[in-house]
Amino acid sequence: MQELKLTKQSEIVNELLARYGVKFGIYKNNVFKEQLFPFDTIPRVIEKENFAHLEQGLKQRVMALNCFIRDVYGEKKIIKDRVVPEEFVYISSGFLAPCDGVTPPKGVYTHIAGIDLVQGKDGEWYILEDNLRVPSGASYPMIARELCRRSSPDTFEDNHIEDNRYYAKLLRWVMDYVNVGGHTVILTPGRYNAAYFEHSYLAEKTGAHLVSGNELMVEDDYLYFVDYTGKKERVGAVYRRISDEYLDPMTFKEESVIGIPHIYDVYRKGNVALLNAPGNGVADDKGIYYFVPKMIRYYLGEEPILQNAPTYLPFYEEDMKYILEHFDDLVLKDVAEAGGYGVVFANKMTRQEKEDFISLLKKEPRRFIAQEVIDFMDIDILEDGEKTPRKADLRAFVLMADEPLVWKSGLTRFSRNPDSFIVNSSQGGGFKDTWVLSQ
Amino acid sequence: MGIISVENLDRLFWLGRYTERVYTSARLFASSFDRMIDVEIDNYAAFCSQLDIPNIYLSKEDFCSRYIMDETDPNSICSNLLRAYDNAIVLRNEIGSEPITYIQLAVYDMKKSSATRAPIVGLQKVIDDILAFWGIVDDMIENENTRNIIKTGKRIERLDLFGRLQMDRISIQREVHRLAGRITKTNLHYDTAMLSELQKLVEKEEIDYARVVELADHLRKD
Amino acid sequence: MKDLRFHYHMDIEFSEPVCNHTYTLKCIPQTTQTQEITECTVQVLPANKVQRGCDSFGNIMLYGNVEEEQTLFSVDVSGRARTGIERQEIGGRYTDLSIYKYQTPLTRPDSRLEELYQKCAEDKTAELSLAEKVRAYMKAVYESMSYCKGVTGIATTAGAALSMGKGVCQDYAHILLSLCRMDRIPARYVVGMLLGEGESHAWVEIFDGARWMGFDPTNDLVAGDSHIKISHGRDYQDCSINRGVFTGQAKQQQRILVEVTETEGASFSI
Repeated sequence: MQELKLTKQSEIVNELLARYGVKFGIYKNNVFKEQLFPFDTIPRVIEKENFAHLEQGLKQRVMALNCFIRDVYGEKKIIKDRVVPEEFVYISSGFLAPCDGVTPPKGVYTHIAGIDLVQGKDGEWYILEDNLRVPSGASYPMIARELCRRSSPDTFEDNHIEDNRYYAKLLRWVMDYVNVGGHTVILTPGRYNAAYFEHSYLAEKTGAHLVSGNELMVEDDYLYFVDYTGKKERVGAVYRRISDEYLDPMTFKEESVIGIPHIYDVYRKGNVALLNAPGNGVADDKGIYYFVPKMIRYYLGEEPILQNAPTYLPFYEEDMKYILEHFDDLVLKDVAEAGGYGVVFANKMTRQEKEDFISLLKKEPRRFIAQEVIDFMDIDILEDGEKTPRKADLRAFVLMADEPLVWKSGLTRFSRNPDSFIVNSSQGGGFKDTWVLSQ
Repeated sequence: MGIISVENLDRLFWLGRYTERVYTSARLFASSFDRMIDVEIDNYAAFCSQLDIPNIYLSKEDFCSRYIMDETDPNSICSNLLRAYDNAIVLRNEIGSEPITYIQLAVYDMKKSSATRAPIVGLQKVIDDILAFWGIVDDMIENENTRNIIKTGKRIERLDLFGRLQMDRISIQREVHRLAGRITKTNLHYDTAMLSELQKLVEKEEIDYARVVELADHLRKD
Repeated sequence: MKDLRFHYHMDIEFSEPVCNHTYTLKCIPQTTQTQEITECTVQVLPANKVQRGCDSFGNIMLYGNVEEEQTLFSVDVSGRARTGIERQEIGGRYTDLSIYKYQTPLTRPDSRLEELYQKCAEDKTAELSLAEKVRAYMKAVYESMSYCKGVTGIATTAGAALSMGKGVCQDYAHILLSLCRMDRIPARYVVGMLLGEGESHAWVEIFDGARWMGFDPTNDLVAGDSHIKISHGRDYQDCSINRGVFTGQAKQQQRILVEVTETEGASFSI
């Protein structure tokens, strides 16, 4: 692709992003700070055919994940058939016993899935991880697109790009589909959450009401929003951006002050929809990731369209053997950690660290997975006006109502540090818009 | 959905108050600063006592920089602006992204003004941003009640400041009149007896300013 | 087989008035394969609308909220139960069992528990039938512990209690659960009442391949018709009789009184 006019407008775009307060929150030494999310104007461009392939693969994957969660909290066929070993389910911190036997409205669990992928140098896409709890990030390419179009209209005249600003409509469609009667709200832990900008932006764009836990209450097995006159308005769907453990002190963590007492009992009785469904963590566990291709075959009877990064489970003897033999070539991930934490590259460990790690691995094999280091296709970013390659991933969003739909865009995150593979915003990464070409 | 929670009602009200406090104190500072250049160099002490804030400043220069910029001084214009920002940022759902940008711009302009020896020039930008914010509030916020709550906050704050500054009778009368016209259009709980006392008070020959301030601050009931 | 009359009373006293008190109670015994609840009345004070539900383990929940200020919250459950009507409860589906095979944060073994487990293994427990093996584990728990109130709390892990060698029925149960689960025996925590006067009681049920059997490690005996079961779960956390949150700075003090008596020569109609 020839030089984009947009890249000459980087300064203007970033000024606009600052004006609109496109930020994320971060804690440094226990002090909350808001930081601008650095934006790079060179987009990730995905050709129409390539995206069609991605789209098929993502739909297939999320369908299978939704089947898996329904099965795990229902009949448990996949466990009985020993496709997934039961310990991987029951020991997972994402498996929540109170969800057992509870079916959400319309049977949808994975309303909003954020699937992280990378493109290898061979052009093939690999799945890095599935995020099925409270994946964030869609708001950033939405508003960046808006401001890029404003800054460089020519660019969007010259190129045929799928508009991505319909994400709010997609989200609203999902919320309305599962709503059991009443208002739709977005539940935020509050302003000091890393993704607060997103919570408030999505509320504005979808027309849902942004609330915190203390603005909702449960009475007689229904959920209500209380306005300042004391009037109660029934709530039928909650797009909650607080994690399962904090949702309801009466069922989960008793010390939670950001949740709503008894909201889970309302949900259990089918009187409110929660997006995403509590308990989804059982399917996006890094240990369960290994089994997703098997799930696709098991539930859908299809071959997976998108590949996992080659993964080994120390839990299996065979894999443990491989891991010990090829230790230096692998990246090791602690299944309980998220956000780029708990990821170590074996070739960067000292001898002592290796020894310690291996003994830990042998002691707690269920706790880790090992993956081949994928040779990412680098993406150019602008640094001081010069193009320079960096590692980047793609978070694709798949929304599910009666069928899954893939948003024709996504959040591309890049590492600003040339030596780093870690692209998470909490670790200083930046973001790009993701263009899907329409021709 | 057109319904407002107790929390957001409070935030709207305080957004009105803090933006007004920034606006009026910036303008007051500007006129006071003009005198401090060459006429009454130590006028800042009088300024503090008028506004009923502690005079913690060591010199004219110290005052000019800290009263404007110091985030750790709770009475500084900057601190009040940050409190306006704190309220605005959680109101995206009620007032929309566009109005919030003007508060955001005011924060940026405030930070930019720090390096200058001509503070009024930097503050002028902040004043412009606040005026633009009020303009867009009027223009873009559809919900009348939402607009009126912000404006009531603004009116109460102005009356409070004017009372402290012992402004002339005409100005005070005008502010009470505007407040009375506004607060009745909201669903805010307020003390009607206090409002009529306020209205009577400003008709008197000698205005009891302390009582005006007290009434302004206690008019709204939680 | 026994015909028992039970009375369960709980008071929560707040040191100063609280409001918006929301609560969930799991305090109602239900009919199972080993017991039949023939009468049961419940009273919650302050009187307000109480919802009824069922948790994922099959326990009955009562829940609600008291908006107005209060200083005393009380629950009273009384009724009659026929116990020991079959020797053991018939077990559930395979899938309902697996969840009880794995350790929880409260039962996860530490080195002390592993030691105790090893010690049992030296006594050739492997050669015993499942029920005999659990009986041996129960005996080991009973002998390692002395009953003592106030040294452990609701967050005390099995390992910590064993290290102290002291605790209450909850700790005895957690240790036994931990041992059973090291063998992947489905084992669950049970809350209930015991014939006589006192507080609520806790013991363990294991699944022997065909049915659930009760073991009471605090008393080193197989749970029989002197036990009335209220609820079960993976550990104490799943079965807490009362969970509540409220607005206010008050300290709360909980008092529980349980009275189970045998009715003599009683006849009843079903």
